[in-house]
Amino acid sequence: MASAIVRSGLRTALRGSGGGGLRAVAPKRSFSSSSSAHEEAREAAKWEKITYLGIATCTGLAVYHLSSGHPHFEDPPAYPYLHIRNKEFPWGPDGLFEVKHH
Amino acid sequence: MIESQRHSYHLVDPSPWPISGSLGALATTVGGVMYMHSFQGGKRLLSLGLIFLIYTMFVWWRDVLRESTLEGHHTKVVQLGPRYGSIPFIVSEVMFLFALFRASSHSSLAPTVEIGGIWPPKGIWVLDPWEIPFLNTPILPSSGAAVTWAHHAILAGKEKRAVYALVATVSLALVSTGFQGMEYYQAPFTISDSIYGSTFSLATGFHGFHVIIGTLFLIICGIRQYLGHLTKEHHVGFEAAAWYWHFVDVVWLFPFVSIYWWGGI
Repeated sequence: MASAIVRSGLRTALRGSGGGGLRAVAPKRSFSSSSSAHEEAREAAKWEKITYLGIATCTGLAVYHLSSGHPHFEDPPAYPYLHIRNKEFPWGPDGLFEVKHH
Repeated sequence: MIESQRHSYHLVDPSPWPISGSLGALATTVGGVMYMHSFQGGKRLLSLGLIFLIYTMFVWWRDVLRESTLEGHHTKVVQLGPRYGSIPFIVSEVMFLFALFRASSHSSLAPTVEIGGIWPPKGIWVLDPWEIPFLNTPILPSSGAAVTWAHHAILAGKEKRAVYALVATVSLALVSTGFQGMEYYQAPFTISDSIYGSTFSLATGFHGFHVIIGTLFLIICGIRQYLGHLTKEHHVGFEAAAWYWHFVDVVWLFPFVSIYWWGGI
């Protein structure tokens, strides 16, 4: 942070000595990327293709999984560490994501 | 920026939102505890607190958008603040989720005699990691690719393409949340079924909650991109959302490998 403040101060001072005001010179972008718009457009096109590839993969996998059906489980024995209830939920006897017994 | 100002820092105006947010958080906490212990008025206090909190979030961020986008207070040096702030925030989130994954490892590496001395505990039918969990594994990184597409489109000045890219990102995010919800409904165990159900639901539930937060963050960025708020030079809000989103999609790999896959063998 301190070095950023010094840098920003230096930049302001340099701009000031050049005869311009605070906003006379548009500061050059110094963020994550300083490449040209052309290069960015190429990168955007590349990531667009990767996204489409990802969507195609996900769609294929989703169709495969959803069409293959899901397994059904039998109820386990009533072990004391399963289905723990110390008191009733504020909304009633059943948990949020469980098969309703009532 | 105001013409008479001779420095590039943003001296903020007095604001009522910090205190209203604090009161909202207090009411939410007290109301939440009262509600869970079936106290009278708990539900009402919890709802009031949440309404207060959501209202505060809305108006506070509305003010920040006005200050940055319309009034031009967010100069290069001011932008460093949220940028530097986002990094420790995300690091703290990683540590939070790591603690939840560690809770699962702690219980699974030396299963206690009370759950049969085995992992998964006796009587727990685990989910097949190669079904919905494996399906979510390419969905989240694909939305990460889409947000990178959006970032480059913004930097290239292609505003419309950036909106499309954000729509793709958010759609993939919603599909992932949908599958996670479906999995919760189909799961043969719940949060109250042994330490397995508790650690599983806490870790995957908090990850899912972070996915929802990131999705909301990206929806706001998409709306702002559509309205032309984000430019080549000025898009800190988007960058923070993109960093947050990469955190969410990379972190998914940890519960997938350690809880679903390794923890289910």
